[in-house]
Amino acid sequence: MKLALWSYQAPAHVGVSKAAASFANVHCVVRAPKGDGYGTIMLAMFERLGVMPPLSFCAMSEATLAGAAANLPALLREIDAREHPELIVVTRSGTAAVLQEPLDGEVAMMAPGDVKAEILMAGTHPIRDTEISAFALTTREIVEHFAQDVARTERPSANIIGPSLLGFHDRANVESLRRALEAVGIEINAVLPLGATPDDLRTVGRAWVNVPTAYELAKPTLEFLRARFGTPAVEALPYGEAGTTRFLTELCGLCEIPASRIAAASRGAQLLWYSRTVDAHALSTKRAAVFGAPSAAAGLARVLREELDMELEFVGTYVRDYGDWLRARVADLTPNVLVTDDYRAVAAEIDRTRPDIVFGSQMERHSASAWGVPCAVVSPPSHILNFPLGYAPFVGYDGANHIGDLVNQTQVLGLEHHLIETFGPRGQGRFAEAAPEPDRDENAVLVAAGAVADGAPRWDAAAERLLGRVPFFVRKKARANVEKYARERSIAVIDEAVMLRAREHVGG
Amino acid sequence: MFETQTDVIERDDFCSLAPIGWLHHKMQDSFFLVVGTGSCQGFLQTALGVMVFAKPRFATAVLDEDDLGGADPLTGLRPLVAAIVAEHAPRAIFLASTCTPEILKMNVAGCAEPLEREFGVRVYPCRLDGFDPAYTQGEDHVLQAMILRAPATDEKNLVILGCLSPLEEAEIRLECAAMGLPEPGFLPAESALELPPLGPNTVLAPVHPYLYGAAALAARERGCAMHKSLFPYGPDGARAFYETLAAAFGKTVSYEARECEAWAALEPTTAALRGKSIAFCSDAMLELPLARTLRAAGALVPFLGTPNLYKKFHAAEVAALPGVEILERPDRFALFARLSESKPDLVVANLNVANPLEGMGFAVKWSTELTFQPIHGFSGASTLFGMFALALRRHEALAARRARDGAAAAPIDLDFFRLAGAAR
Repeated sequence: MKLALWSYQAPAHVGVSKAAASFANVHCVVRAPKGDGYGTIMLAMFERLGVMPPLSFCAMSEATLAGAAANLPALLREIDAREHPELIVVTRSGTAAVLQEPLDGEVAMMAPGDVKAEILMAGTHPIRDTEISAFALTTREIVEHFAQDVARTERPSANIIGPSLLGFHDRANVESLRRALEAVGIEINAVLPLGATPDDLRTVGRAWVNVPTAYELAKPTLEFLRARFGTPAVEALPYGEAGTTRFLTELCGLCEIPASRIAAASRGAQLLWYSRTVDAHALSTKRAAVFGAPSAAAGLARVLREELDMELEFVGTYVRDYGDWLRARVADLTPNVLVTDDYRAVAAEIDRTRPDIVFGSQMERHSASAWGVPCAVVSPPSHILNFPLGYAPFVGYDGANHIGDLVNQTQVLGLEHHLIETFGPRGQGRFAEAAPEPDRDENAVLVAAGAVADGAPRWDAAAERLLGRVPFFVRKKARANVEKYARERSIAVIDEAVMLRAREHVGG
Repeated sequence: MFETQTDVIERDDFCSLAPIGWLHHKMQDSFFLVVGTGSCQGFLQTALGVMVFAKPRFATAVLDEDDLGGADPLTGLRPLVAAIVAEHAPRAIFLASTCTPEILKMNVAGCAEPLEREFGVRVYPCRLDGFDPAYTQGEDHVLQAMILRAPATDEKNLVILGCLSPLEEAEIRLECAAMGLPEPGFLPAESALELPPLGPNTVLAPVHPYLYGAAALAARERGCAMHKSLFPYGPDGARAFYETLAAAFGKTVSYEARECEAWAALEPTTAALRGKSIAFCSDAMLELPLARTLRAAGALVPFLGTPNLYKKFHAAEVAALPGVEILERPDRFALFARLSESKPDLVVANLNVANPLEGMGFAVKWSTELTFQPIHGFSGASTLFGMFALALRRHEALAARRARDGAAAAPIDLDFFRLAGAAR
């Protein structure tokens, strides 16, 4: 057994369902206790879906423990009749895997044509695989299931591989890459898994080139497409302005397109110019730490070092299988590569190096805040804040601009930097001292003095204690409501009973 | 047509690990150690994630391949408990078995006693699984473990069963004092070691409708007298609850005037609910009493779903819901069909389906906050009705403005991605 408090990756069945449910006309079934069903909530809440996601749970119950069969065929029939998917992907959670039910057998016993959808038993291991490896493998399995031999498109085209539902800023990432690719004259053949239909997958082999947005999510699919169709994959990651130009240069080379077209695509890119402006000069004195998913970490590290001239304290990832990959990718930038899936080890490294700015996940933002170190969130695991309504990509030229904004918002730079150096933080001396709960302090004075300044009722000790138990964020309102209630009724002393009566009348 | 049970039921509530959220907050000297898989850890992180940022007093002992292969759980747990004791110094540890240990028939409960002896910290074994219980019933299982350790008594005493906020407890304390009843004991209290004495003369009053197991255990093991009344939600529920308590101590007290006064004070809020139809999806088992008091406030409840119904324990609530169709453990899609047919003004639903239901055109009140807002008793009624009134008012106001402006509020269609991506 191992004690786990928080982890960067969800279990394998979450990776399978993220991948499968992201395709169009594909439904995912997870054999699991209903308690494992929280993936549905993440889809419905984070992605703000206005429909039920194509994800079902074949729920295990007490009856299962007593030997009842899964009755998977009945659920498959229901989904088939209700949703008409072309494919249903079946997987199990770790708990279900322990039970070793013959799910394949149940499906194999179904009469031909019993359901119109095809059934695919996911090949991932519910316990050994992780969210990311399961996502990557499932994407490949579904692509492989549908792929057919097709002729290459007449004009240059690309598949974008990696974006998904619950992905990190993926809606915006797809849009940013689409803009860049269209500007150089490359059509998008398919984006997958996000929104790709079985028809898109049948013709996935038409593309001239494959573009991963995150290598760790795309690798098995890239390997399959290279083996089956000979399609090359772009090596460069489209992070930063110069990085996106390198990426497009490589892409244009593979697509036999003149690199001169890139100038048109990069119109509007401002990161390199921003870096030259005097406001950004102080960045050369800043030390950064980068930690996240392998591709985000590798991409960001190069932008910060090469395009903004920041120092790198360390670069790291929580995907253990990609430690060597990351080391190779950043070998020319830093020897300090941290590979760990323990968030406390990352926090300790932030504490030890005390960088000026951290680029990490929401967890690093939290860890860094303990030492007052600012953090820009640039990597999954995703959080509700990573599903903005507006356009906030991380890749392509638009992504480079967004990264510049993040640095700008997170660091104190330029003129402001100098003013603070000279005059100290704003309001020092006036606001710097701790100001704990002014409402409470004020009142404590009133109570102590036994005085009622403006006819305000007095709180007795028990009521004051009870008020202290009201959640702090509504305490002030509760106090005001109770005092209003007491004043209206000429009650001089607020005791517990008055307080509860007031709550009854005015809420709070 | 909707009574027809399908073979396969899709349910929408959480895992019964969820109450760890409010229970560890209530019992400040406790630690919850969950023996399970990465999925249990993932759920706690997703559901209670924010709390991780405050040195959480809960953690998952994730089973590895040795454990799955039949290793003695005590060997695996010992170093973890040592680490927890060293870092948090809890006065009690709740050792929770989950789905996977149950499948493996792993004796997690059997580890409690040797761990308690070895570390000198009380260890309560409990089962918090994601199979059949409604998510709130996790609290029921925790309280059962505590009841077994409560001291015995022959005294005539009063024990309030169920996790309450200090505000809610204060009302019950004050009302009991006013009626001349003994000072009530609370289970759970603020310390996991503070257990009220239980015996054959104990009047045990459950305040949540999801505590059947704990109430039945106390009756069976200690002979406690089960308090049978409405649960104390809304002025009608509070009145019945206090009057029945008084009767259990041989007193006749009338809360009639008190109830009338409460309704009068609530008038500005309940006016917004009058004549509105409110339907409940199956969720936290709060559906029966909430529907009952909403009806008393003038709302209409065409039907309600509820995950588990206990005929005797819920008898008073069911009797107070004449004409309301009660669907026990309904299938999600059968409920959707029922909703489309009855078109209620407001649907009370779990986060799983809340946004999709909004997308389908319903006005939704998300139900989860009902389990952690202080809504019990007379003093909680304003908060209780206020949540429903706010949801209705907000939906009506926004819908009216959209109608005025000819604006839609449609969710992003999944097809959006397809069209955004491809040059078709």
